[in-house]
Amino acid sequence: MSFDAALTAEAADLLYREAGHLDRREWEAWLALYAEDAVFWAPAIVGDEGFSEDPDNDVSLIYLDRAGLEARIFRIEGGDSFASTPLPHTAHLVSNVRAVGAGGPEIEVSATWLVNSFRRTDPPILRAGRYAYTLRRSASGLTIARKTVHVLDDRIVGPIDIFNI
Amino acid sequence: MTETPARSFVDDRPGVFRVRRGAFVEPALFERELERIFGRCWNYLCHESQLRERGRYVRGTIGRFPVFAIRGLDGEIRCFHDSCPHRGSMLTRGRSGVQPTITCRYHGWAFNADGKCIRVRNRDTGYDREALARLGTDLKPVARLAAYRGFVFACLDPEVEDLETFLGGARPFIDLMADQSEQGMEVLKGESTYVMRANWKLQTENSTDGYHVATVHRNFAHAVRQRETLTRETGDARARTEASRILDLESIRSGGYDAGNGHMINWSDRGSPESAPLNEAREALVARFGPGKARWMIDRGRTVTIFPNFFLNDVASTCIRLWRPVAVDLTEIDTWCLAPVGESAEARRARIRKYEDFFLPSSLAVPDDVRAMEVAHAGSLAAGGAGWNDLALGRATMIEGADDAARELGAAPLHSNPGRESETPFYAFWREWRRRMDGP
Repeated sequence: MSFDAALTAEAADLLYREAGHLDRREWEAWLALYAEDAVFWAPAIVGDEGFSEDPDNDVSLIYLDRAGLEARIFRIEGGDSFASTPLPHTAHLVSNVRAVGAGGPEIEVSATWLVNSFRRTDPPILRAGRYAYTLRRSASGLTIARKTVHVLDDRIVGPIDIFNI
Repeated sequence: MTETPARSFVDDRPGVFRVRRGAFVEPALFERELERIFGRCWNYLCHESQLRERGRYVRGTIGRFPVFAIRGLDGEIRCFHDSCPHRGSMLTRGRSGVQPTITCRYHGWAFNADGKCIRVRNRDTGYDREALARLGTDLKPVARLAAYRGFVFACLDPEVEDLETFLGGARPFIDLMADQSEQGMEVLKGESTYVMRANWKLQTENSTDGYHVATVHRNFAHAVRQRETLTRETGDARARTEASRILDLESIRSGGYDAGNGHMINWSDRGSPESAPLNEAREALVARFGPGKARWMIDRGRTVTIFPNFFLNDVASTCIRLWRPVAVDLTEIDTWCLAPVGESAEARRARIRKYEDFFLPSSLAVPDDVRAMEVAHAGSLAAGGAGWNDLALGRATMIEGADDAARELGAAPLHSNPGRESETPFYAFWREWRRRMDGP
């Protein structure tokens, strides 16, 4: 499977839209990008160089189905989470996007991300990592079937949530 | 400079127990804590399951001193200062790994996993025997190493009391974790280190503080309840995360203990024990330990806070947490999930999901705790730390000795409190802190 420039442009557009929704706190529009059976997974660090690989047997930082994502929105929007009030402003930078299609309905996409988080009371936080997406083509366009976020920080400063990785 | 005695920070009189907030924020106290507490106390290093193979090591710190624990070629676990006998370089290459031969990257001296020096470059051409004997070429072990039920501790003080004596009244509560599987317990893959901009003692207090749960973790409880309304019913109760201990506290039993030597216990019954991953082992646990202990293991969530900076938590899921003092206002926290070997795939999956819900810096709970402790630290600086924390909550219901629940377990706390929302267990910590800080 080779690099597909047109497919990459289409996938990158979805990734950029997702990042924009998060940075603008458009939670419902963000969630609408996810399929009903979507999985959001951020593996945890293992040792010095590894990441957890099996969510059923290893600990992950985040492993959520769609109901879990909704609970995160409930947490963020509810104003009752000490850590999430006030919410930091975030700027997602998504780059190095490459999409590979196998001709079927699913498309594998890889990308690299940086997120800057700012809150007046705290020092700024810079995080970086890699994304691996499985996108699914349906009648209404591309949706996110699976998002894997490798967070490279091995000494975590500040809370991690769906909006700042 | 004259030392301010620790007793001036702890006002412990009949009917009154107060802690001056300067105890959390004064830099001079922090330096003294490193010497008198961390330098003389048993310090938790790791769980034995993290050192299965010979030559496997994990880094640790005692106060601010780097050490590592390693399984030797002979199968024994030892703890060494992470410092080359030659010129002091750190020897471990990372946080953990396998190094059956430990080679100093600086000048190439090498040691086996038992700590014996196996190579000094230019030994014959550059050194005389007297010099080598004088400097001592083997790795320097820390003074004491001991394990209790798989939990490995080290101490820099050769005169320290035995580990079992030190753990004392906390042992029956540690056993409630260690006894969950006949095949033993294991630390799962997937670790986390996070940073708190607050004094380490705020984490010690928070770990046993039942009073913050209803306020700080109300959001956790509401979020998981909301999630369950959206989740397809699978018929497996374990997929649910228990929140009734937070939202329905008035209808469940709870309590707290001073377990002696600075150790503190906090417990609350589970509103829905069938959601506990350990529930599948009920029959076997009742047969092995009787109904009383089995009830404590399955139906009752517990935090066991071991002086000064380590806890086992079996409430939302099973967690080992260690908080390391870096500076007076900076603490690094390590967390691991501990699980019974041989549990079913369904129980394991449920345990991990519940752990991720609560115990990580990416969870629905720990970030709120960290925020609470950072704000407590920042506010304790008010008026130069002159304010007092009057730990009066629950004083009226405190009783000397064991309550019925403790007796059911055969535990003998110094004092008990029948309500989780009490501050009396903190007296254990602060009395031990004061004793060690002002002691000889």
